[in-house]
Amino acid sequence: MAYKRRNNKGESPKLDMTPMIDVVFQLLIFFVVTLKQEDILSKLSAARPAPDPNAKPDQQPDPTTIIVYDQGFLFNGLPMRIDELDRQMARVSRSSKTAMVLVKCTMSSPHKFLVQALDVCNKHGLQNLSILTM
Amino acid sequence: MAKSRTEQCELDMTPMIDVVFQLIIFFVVTLKMTTDENKEIILENGKNGVIITPKNRPPSTLEIEIDKRGMISIHNARMNQDQLATILRNRVNKLGNQFPVLIRADFRTKHEQVKKVMDICTQRGIWKLSFVAIQEKKAN
Repeated sequence: MAYKRRNNKGESPKLDMTPMIDVVFQLLIFFVVTLKQEDILSKLSAARPAPDPNAKPDQQPDPTTIIVYDQGFLFNGLPMRIDELDRQMARVSRSSKTAMVLVKCTMSSPHKFLVQALDVCNKHGLQNLSILTM
Repeated sequence: MAKSRTEQCELDMTPMIDVVFQLIIFFVVTLKMTTDENKEIILENGKNGVIITPKNRPPSTLEIEIDKRGMISIHNARMNQDQLATILRNRVNKLGNQFPVLIRADFRTKHEQVKKVMDICTQRGIWKLSFVAIQEKKAN
């Protein structure tokens, strides 16, 4: 069998990159289109007051109380907006950062008001927070 | 006299392919294909809360979801109050009552529904609860 002599000029065989580049670009476009940035989440901690059998009600100081109802907030019996509550909490935190803040929620209040109240307390460094339901 | 050459000028594709592969690897690594949280829940903003990071969210964390109608779920698996109580009882028996509990409630949820979940937690001795909020909005 006769072999045809190849005209070897020292050139290396070239790999056709076109299909690979096509696929890689398809993948890249898919990932760019489906990319969705996630929200940065935070957590607002609070405690449910545990019943203390040794505590006597008359020995406990009056805690700062925020009432959360379906229209907003009550502080010292006065309805107020979130910015007014913010000022009040700033005043509370100036006197004591460890002051206990009781957040009392009515059954029909939306969860957003509880989160806003806790957020305002966190803003002023008030960490001793308790949630009660009215 | 100079030789006449008919060779074409070729573009070197190597750096572009390198960059494209880097991008693809980045997207593959950051891609989250399956969602294990209830996407219907819209959270309230809480800019002053503690940012949730993998460091302060240990694997033992239990995240309870409550949608706007008060439906309870964990990892997008719906359950009733009895099932949640059973899950919590089993967890407390296994890990004690010191594991973190996150409540991811919709901003429209009535407190009555959130209270039901909080009561189930307190019945198992979990007094400290955290509420999930949005620190910084990124998604559209």
